Amino acid sequence: MRGKFGNRASLCATALLPWALLGAPPAVAQEWATSLIDIHQGSPLSDKARGLGDGGYELQTGSRISFNQWYQTNWVDMHVDLMTQITQDTGILWGFGTGEQGEKYRIEPSLKLGFLTQLHPSANSILSLSFTTTFGGKLTEKPCQADYGDLGTYSVNCRLAASEMAPEETLKYLVNAKPESQHLWLNYRVTF
Amino acid sequence: MNPDVGAAWRAGYKGQGVTITIVDDFSSTSKFSGNFGIGTQTQRHGEWTREEASMVAPLATIRSKDFSTSSSVALSPGLNVLNLSYGMYTNAGYSPSQIGWSAEEASIISYATKGTAVVSKAAGNDAVAVGGVTSGQQDYLDLALVGKASAIFVGALNSNGTTSNKASMAWYSNIAGSNQAVQSHFLVVGVTGDKTGLYGTSFAAPIVAGYAAIVGSKFTRATPTQITNQLLNTARTDTLANYSASVYGKGEASLSRALAPLSIK
Repeated sequence: MRGKFGNRASLCATALLPWALLGAPPAVAQEWATSLIDIHQGSPLSDKARGLGDGGYELQTGSRISFNQWYQTNWVDMHVDLMTQITQDTGILWGFGTGEQGEKYRIEPSLKLGFLTQLHPSANSILSLSFTTTFGGKLTEKPCQADYGDLGTYSVNCRLAASEMAPEETLKYLVNAKPESQHLWLNYRVTF
Repeated sequence: MNPDVGAAWRAGYKGQGVTITIVDDFSSTSKFSGNFGIGTQTQRHGEWTREEASMVAPLATIRSKDFSTSSSVALSPGLNVLNLSYGMYTNAGYSPSQIGWSAEEASIISYATKGTAVVSKAAGNDAVAVGGVTSGQQDYLDLALVGKASAIFVGALNSNGTTSNKASMAWYSNIAGSNQAVQSHFLVVGVTGDKTGLYGTSFAAPIVAGYAAIVGSKFTRATPTQITNQLLNTARTDTLANYSASVYGKGEASLSRALAPLSIK
């Protein structure tokens, strides 16, 4: 299921907008009806975390270390997007992401907030605007402890522990990535 | 390869902060031709070994010390690696302590004894054990470095070994021999003379010198003796045909293993 609906949240929200705001009777709107507009697992950061698991290296003894063991997870970040209709032409977009974690990374839970509004420039057209902002959801990579025998034990970037880079320098390459935090969507629809 | 590894390499971690001093011939009229993959060149022995070391560790500071000067070899700040692609021959039968060393070799032997510089010494091209007699002569520089903390003797393989295509000792290369003090400080590397036109353990030692520089640039607090031991302790034996310590010493130098952790969690 992961990724099946990935990157479609905004499209779904906009596609549902005319139905959600036009189809609901005013009485329902006044009750602040809430609709589920998207649910999916996976995100660009989730994919990035998985990508960190590509590769590996040999230890001094010749035994092979695969990065995959550090960047796999039993639960992929799930995002739920909802819309609460306030008036006939406005609504609040909100939602959350569960986050995910593996042995050497964590994607923190996220909260999404925004709004939808629409205008009717003519009888057969709709101009809609949505804006969302996301809080949290940051991807953080964790360091490893590498034992280099007589040369000491260091905190290192797990993936770069066998590179030519000084152990302490590898920490600069730990991934710290934020999700796409703001999204603005403008849509104009004409019905013929 | 992970893209971040490439980024790290591009950031430049190939021997910076380390000085490799090539003690060799930089002044004689003797020149010969070869090709390190950048076109045929004709140059002196020292110019070849210097070029090779700089290709292995491109960011190391490379210094040239003409061995005809016989003056003491100076050390630079930071980790020092000395490359000795030459020997000091005279009639067999003396002990190294009987040799009247010049300031040059005396300084080198002192550095290897005290562990103040990694000394990468070409094992020799007489197909005998290190320090062995050939044509009634011995390499006393080899003998003087036996048992020294940060000295490495480097023999030549006829190729770079793999587990599926194991390498053998080059026909000319000196071997470790039965002395365990030599065996424990003896490494081998591939010298692909079929490609470069350059044969001899002279072209094995600069590879290990370059490896030492790279390991030293990674472990900036490590002593020359620790760098030496790291290279010796991580050498591979599974890439060598009929491995024996009396031939290959500790085995084929492996830069990747010398850089890798023993364990990680």
